[in-house]
Amino acid sequence: MPGNRTTRSCALLVTLALSALLTACGGGDHTGGGKVTLRYTWWGNPDRAARTDQAVALFKKKHPGIDVQTSFAGYDAYKQKLATQAAGGDAPDVMQLDYRMIDQYASGGVLLDLGERSGVLRTDDIDQGLLATGRLDGRQFAVPMGRGTEAVVYDATQWKAAGVPLPKADWTWEEWADAMRALAKRTGKPGSTDPGQSEDAFEVWLRGQGKSLYTEGRGLGFTADDLTRWWTFSDGLRREGAVSSAEQTTQLDGSVENTPLGRSTALSDFNWDAPSSGYQAIVGEGLTLTPMPRAEDGTPGQYFKPSMFIGAGATTSHPEEAAKLIDFMINDEDAAKILGASRGIPVNETIRKNVVPVLEGFDRTVATYQASVEGKLNAPPQAPPSGDSALQNTFTRDYDQVSFGRMSPREAAENYITEAKAELR
Amino acid sequence: MTTTDIPVTPARRGGATGPKRPGRPGGRRREGAAWVFLSPWVLGASVLTLLPMAVSLYLSFTDYDMFNAPSWVGLRNYTQMFTEDPRYWRSVGATLRYVVIAVPLQLAVALAVAMALKSMRRGRAFYRSAFYAPSLLGASMSIALVWRAIFNDGGTVDNLLGTGGWVNRPEWALFAVALLTVWQFGAPMVIFLAGLQQIPGELYEAASVDGASRWRQFLSITLPMLSPVVFFNLVLQTIQAFQVFTPAFAVSAGKGGPADSTLFYTLYLYDRGFVASHMGYASAMAWVLLLAIGAVTAVLFRTSRSWVFYADEEGR
Repeated sequence: MPGNRTTRSCALLVTLALSALLTACGGGDHTGGGKVTLRYTWWGNPDRAARTDQAVALFKKKHPGIDVQTSFAGYDAYKQKLATQAAGGDAPDVMQLDYRMIDQYASGGVLLDLGERSGVLRTDDIDQGLLATGRLDGRQFAVPMGRGTEAVVYDATQWKAAGVPLPKADWTWEEWADAMRALAKRTGKPGSTDPGQSEDAFEVWLRGQGKSLYTEGRGLGFTADDLTRWWTFSDGLRREGAVSSAEQTTQLDGSVENTPLGRSTALSDFNWDAPSSGYQAIVGEGLTLTPMPRAEDGTPGQYFKPSMFIGAGATTSHPEEAAKLIDFMINDEDAAKILGASRGIPVNETIRKNVVPVLEGFDRTVATYQASVEGKLNAPPQAPPSGDSALQNTFTRDYDQVSFGRMSPREAAENYITEAKAELR
Repeated sequence: MTTTDIPVTPARRGGATGPKRPGRPGGRRREGAAWVFLSPWVLGASVLTLLPMAVSLYLSFTDYDMFNAPSWVGLRNYTQMFTEDPRYWRSVGATLRYVVIAVPLQLAVALAVAMALKSMRRGRAFYRSAFYAPSLLGASMSIALVWRAIFNDGGTVDNLLGTGGWVNRPEWALFAVALLTVWQFGAPMVIFLAGLQQIPGELYEAASVDGASRWRQFLSITLPMLSPVVFFNLVLQTIQAFQVFTPAFAVSAGKGGPADSTLFYTLYLYDRGFVASHMGYASAMAWVLLLAIGAVTAVLFRTSRSWVFYADEEGR
């Protein structure tokens, strides 16, 4: 064969190139021209990205010896990537974490004990109760960055145009459902994202009934009957066209752009308060927050939770610098001005006092909203057990079977309970 | 494929070729040189393939969450997979449906295009590259994302055909992913083209003299003469199809939806391993997949005896 020799030399070249690449991967990490380089990863929307990049630029200016490489993704993609990196012993130097990740990551030895870096990282100004949520076995594995709570996000302009009365702060799930029906009837668009797929929305509803997702012994805090009732409720609304269709709901991927409200095919959504700013670029100035519906007897299910945490990788070669970056993100006055409420209302008391009054735009909406529910919510549940991260997806997938008409709410609920028990074993 | 392809046998030391020449210079050195040149491959194969395989086999008998040390559970992962996990069987079903739809369709398109190119007189090189390009691009995430946009509601297909989105309907999503595979017909096409060019032209001339129609010629000459190439492509593409991951991952945002309709085996494996942190279970799934692919390939080889025709077999 005439081409044989060329093929072989090519193959050899490719092999050599690959070996060279492998070697390069092994050694070429932390030094970029005598500088220390930190990897900082987080999840969020483009708005948070712009502000984070600005804050990081300021950090680099204040610390010329430290370079920071940031990367971000939507929540679902971020969660998967971080798990993969952590498993491979390649966790980023500094990373944003969720309440649901703390238990698993800290007990798995992925996170650095930040208490050992208290010389650089100051935590005196943080509410002690909130700070404790990042602690496990007496060690501070992560520091909360902000406080958040869930909300119904809606476009007040469109609601008014449709002639539907704006929601009252103490509305119940039935009143909410009636509003969705009215919106669908007047505008031809579903009123909201189907809440059936969301474990978060279910939790609020469940807590309104006096129950919880998990018991203190890491078991399930509800029965198949509870879940059947919830899914029957949401499935009925979907069949009426009051909430988004299965085809729309299935496209949710954790980013606001792919929600029905973000795609302009519905008029409201459920979300955490701060990340709702992402809708603004799509929906416009009418974007407003209102509390989650309550149970019929007025019990609220909603609660304040540490909106996200920041932590450092246990394997980082630069724990000192990583702690400096964390300190900057939480305690620096200038950074706080840039970041605003993009990660929830700041946890640092001094900064909160200084920042909240000067907040602008949607940050102001978030602050006002939080003030309006202050003192009216019940205490938060304890941090969810580690199997919960997978169960969030299971919840959505099992409801998919309901909304596409492949299972009854009862069948899907029993399915979920079986899977959850296996997961929490 | 003709007999000229047989690789040149490497020089053998002593033994069968004759008496060993005492003190032959360079014998050892040549062996050493061989190892030096082989070392990247040996290193790659052992460190990147054999070792991980051994570890994965061990993990498949353990409960391992990636953070804590693995604990031995014997066959529990396997029994759980076969008897207690309905979602596992849904992933098997989705994968089989996909293989059965995508592979034959892809091979048919590849063969049709190869035949069109063969009869083409001008610009063959251009079209050959143009049709091959998708095979290079297709495995990438970006193309899969573009695919999702095209087949989403409000996307190109929706606008042209008014059928609504494909990727958000359980009955259509699998088909959208299969089309992405079919579109990457370049690699089998190039192989088909090479095979077509090996068929002696006299056969066709003789057939047309006898008044055989085009279709008749295709059935009686092209297909039998091409059968070794068809077989080769079939085995290769089937093995690849069983391992499909990227398109389904991107099209369903990593979830295998809607309603588990694109929950391919590898996607569920990834989900168990990296999302739910059950590495032991995922490893067990990987080994079952390996055995299943091995079994399917063996079956293909067995059936091939009755339909694959090699020119040099004549009179045997």
